[in-house]
Amino acid sequence: MSENMIEIQNVSMRFRFANDRILSLKEFVTAKLRGKLTYQDFWALKNVSFNVKKGEVVGIIGGNGAGKSTLLKIISRIMKPTEGAVICHGNIVPMLELGSGFDADLTGRENIFLNGAILGYTKEFLESKYQEILDFSQLGQFIDMPIRNYSSGMMMRLAFSIATLVNPEILIVDEILAVGDEAFQKKSYARMMELMSGGTTVLLVSHNLEQIRNMCSRVVWLEHGNVRMFGDVQEVCDAYSL
Amino acid sequence: MRKLLKRGKYNSISDGKQAVSDQINLKKVCAVILLGYIILAFLFYILAGEQLHFRSSRGNVKMPVPNFGTVEMVAGAKVEQTFIPTIQRFKQVSVTWGTYGRHNKGTVLIELYNLKDNSRILSQTVDVSKLTEGAITTVASEKYLENLYGVPLLLRITSPDSVAGSAVSPMMKTDAEPKAGQQLYLNGKAVNGVLAFSAEGQDYIWLGLHYWKFIAAGGILLAAYLLYILMRTKRKKKSVLLNALVAMKKYRFLIYQLVSRDFKTKYKRSILGVFWSFLNPLLMMTVQYYVFSTIFKTDIAFYPVYLLTGIIMFNFFSEACGMALTSILGNASLITKVYVPKYIYPLTRILSSLVNLAISLIPLFVVGCFSNVPFTKSFLLFPFFLLCLAVFSLGLGMLLAAGMVFFRDVQFLWSVFSMMWMYATPIFYPESILPDQFKFVLQINPLYYFITFARTCIISGISPEPIAYIQSFLLALGMLLVGAFVFKKTQDKFILYI
Repeated sequence: MSENMIEIQNVSMRFRFANDRILSLKEFVTAKLRGKLTYQDFWALKNVSFNVKKGEVVGIIGGNGAGKSTLLKIISRIMKPTEGAVICHGNIVPMLELGSGFDADLTGRENIFLNGAILGYTKEFLESKYQEILDFSQLGQFIDMPIRNYSSGMMMRLAFSIATLVNPEILIVDEILAVGDEAFQKKSYARMMELMSGGTTVLLVSHNLEQIRNMCSRVVWLEHGNVRMFGDVQEVCDAYSL
Repeated sequence: MRKLLKRGKYNSISDGKQAVSDQINLKKVCAVILLGYIILAFLFYILAGEQLHFRSSRGNVKMPVPNFGTVEMVAGAKVEQTFIPTIQRFKQVSVTWGTYGRHNKGTVLIELYNLKDNSRILSQTVDVSKLTEGAITTVASEKYLENLYGVPLLLRITSPDSVAGSAVSPMMKTDAEPKAGQQLYLNGKAVNGVLAFSAEGQDYIWLGLHYWKFIAAGGILLAAYLLYILMRTKRKKKSVLLNALVAMKKYRFLIYQLVSRDFKTKYKRSILGVFWSFLNPLLMMTVQYYVFSTIFKTDIAFYPVYLLTGIIMFNFFSEACGMALTSILGNASLITKVYVPKYIYPLTRILSSLVNLAISLIPLFVVGCFSNVPFTKSFLLFPFFLLCLAVFSLGLGMLLAAGMVFFRDVQFLWSVFSMMWMYATPIFYPESILPDQFKFVLQINPLYYFITFARTCIISGISPEPIAYIQSFLLALGMLLVGAFVFKKTQDKFILYI
């Protein structure tokens, strides 16, 4: 169980803001010609390093603008860090926003395959999991309806089912778990616990310290892009809540 | 310390941590590639047929536009024209007649002499009564004559039996600049100007002469490269081919899903659905056919097919590029949430358009059958140019998609530009209507090449010259490389701008 699943090595992320946001060629050229193209650097992350071992559930806490979401995006390879490297040994399923890969005009069934393909799964694998996803989402006959007719709760249930039932090796979660009605919330919470105990490595961002205390084994505390503290859940949470 | 973000070492899906690269039987793939190469080489050899070896000679003498008669072809009159052909395989000469606007009788004799050894090469007696004003008589050799390159020839026209008042006259162009070795004699007297005659034949194509040598050389290079890849893989090193194969295997299903999504949503709420894919070009062709066949009075052979080929290919191009243009911005919600290689987005848009194109080939085929286009084996070469067009569109699409992320102006510029491009491509007009000073527009227009060569395959029923394939391939590859380079250089910044 000591195998590193995610290695984060000296990751820094710089955002450059042009003083005016330039979206047209004309603006770019005129600003460049006038020499007014100045940038403001903003380091969202500075020299962040930590490792996550296989099967661990690591919480990430910190105030607004601490760099939590940026870090998750870098780990999910959506963003490329300005400096440093992230090495992941496994298939990542990012749950940054549920249902982001859905197409409203397709049916639920078609969306399962589309979303599954986006997450990197094969056809055979998705076919074998299809029934399980359908059962878990409790959509029943609605599965063959275009999802533009779904309620938001149904959509979330479907998205959650796809993301968690495929047994990801690394699950990246940004503030979720409040999905669907109370019964489904309980079910999804149970499913998350099951995943975590079943060997899935989880990175979890939450403002809910209670949740972090319950679910995580270790916690990273980010502050202004720096790792303020990294360690045992109780220790960091106690320090954080002070 | 600026390292690249490394790709996860394992692509382990649920169970089994076997790397994808291990699942690929590289030896088998290499064998398939090599075999495919050999099959394609043979197939091309068969399909290209005669056009692989000979082309219409660059030394052909074109028929000038005559402006004057020579002499009346009565018995004893003699019109002679000397010339030196630079045609490797000489086939035929033609002469234009004037009739003085009356009905004539008798015969004329056309002869072609080799002045080097004074032998007669060709001769034909022509029945004058069948000639009309401006008629052209062609005297063709049964076999191609291969030893006339650079040999001075004499074209002689005489009449054994015509009488004045009912004889014809070969036409001439009085103000033509005679070329080296050309001289016109009327009744034995040298005069200025040239006879209205043409000489045609074929030249050998250097590429065709050495076709098998090229194929062998290419095959050896390919085999050496594959061997090199195999060696590298054995030492667990990455290579372009292996990476491409892994990506193909890994993202095949995703690409399939995205293409089928594009396709499903495109016609989702229309009644006729997929039917539109071939109804659309057909309707466009009908409208343009009626508009332009009345305005232009074109004399293009098989005009509906000519038109439809142009429409289908240009529609594909503009649809594919237009869709690729918005592929990154349109998928912003995905790009900011999940990692997928970004080139997948423009690629799938091109592929969806390609599916549409494949469907719209059906009406092309139907219209071709109805207008009695001689479908020959060269029709099978047509997909090559479609493929080149698709690769070209992919390159341009990637360039546009990348540009669009940073400057939203690109879409407005593109809509104007693609309209300009449409008019600069001979889709509904014949290329001959362009004035000389605008001919360069065609020469710098890659679409012109793709569409023209495709038309040669379909309408003329012969393969274009071998150089056409190389030209098209290089144009497509060049665009792809430029597009892919810009895309790759900028793709990490996309996320910051969408």
